[in-house]
Amino acid sequence: MADIAMLDRTYDFIMRRLVADGRAPHHTEIASALRVPPADGLRLLRELMAVGLPNWLHPDTDLIASFPPFNNLPTQYRLGVGGEWRWFAQCGLEALAACWAFPGRTVEIKAPCLDCGQPIEVSVRDGRIERAAPATTRFYVSVPLRDWRRNIVYT
Amino acid sequence: MNLFRSEEDARRWSEFVPGSEAGIVTLEQAMAIMSTPRHRDRFSGHYVSSSPGYTAEFFARVREVTGSDPYWAPPA
Repeated sequence: MADIAMLDRTYDFIMRRLVADGRAPHHTEIASALRVPPADGLRLLRELMAVGLPNWLHPDTDLIASFPPFNNLPTQYRLGVGGEWRWFAQCGLEALAACWAFPGRTVEIKAPCLDCGQPIEVSVRDGRIERAAPATTRFYVSVPLRDWRRNIVYT
Repeated sequence: MNLFRSEEDARRWSEFVPGSEAGIVTLEQAMAIMSTPRHRDRFSGHYVSSSPGYTAEFFARVREVTGSDPYWAPPA
C-alpha cells in the first residue's frame, strides 16, 4: 500500500493534467511525473481509485473514465473556459463544481435537456451562477443521497 | 444527476422516478451543495489525505440547503 502522501501527489497530478489538457493521464504518465517505474504508476492509480472517492476506471481496464468534476469520456455536459471547450463534466452537479478548477474565470456549461433536447447554457464563476438560459433550469437527481454511493455510476 | 430546462421537463423525463420530486433543486441550491471544501479543495495538493474531514461539512450544507428533507438525508 502506497503512503497517503504519494496518493495525494497522484491525485493532484491527475487533476492538474485534466485541468490543463482536458484529458486524464495514462498510468505511465503518472509514473513519469512522480519519478517512479511504470509498474508503480499503475499501482498508485489502482490504489487511488480504491480509496472511496467517486472516481472510476473504465471497466476491465486501467484507463481513467471519470475523475470529478471531470469525465474522461464525453458526456452531455461540455465545459468551456475562455472560449476553449476541452472538458466534459462527470454530471450536471459536477458541471457546477468545475468552477473550482478555474478560480477567477467563468466556466460555461452547455448541455441538452434530457427531456426535450433543447439547449441549456449555464455560466458559473467562483461558486456563483452568473447566467442560466433558460432561467428556469433545474437540477434533478433520481436517487436519494443515502444511495448515491451504491449507484455511483448511474447517479 | 442532470440538468433540465425546467421542473416540468424533469418531471416529464422518461427516467423520472415517482416520489423523487425532492430531488429537483434550483441551480443556486445545487451550487451551494457543491461549494464546501469537499469540492473546492480538490486542487489543494492534499485532497486524498484531507477528504475524510470534508464529509461532515458537506452533509451539513446539504441539510441547510434542502431543509433537512429526508430525500437528502446522509447514509446511516
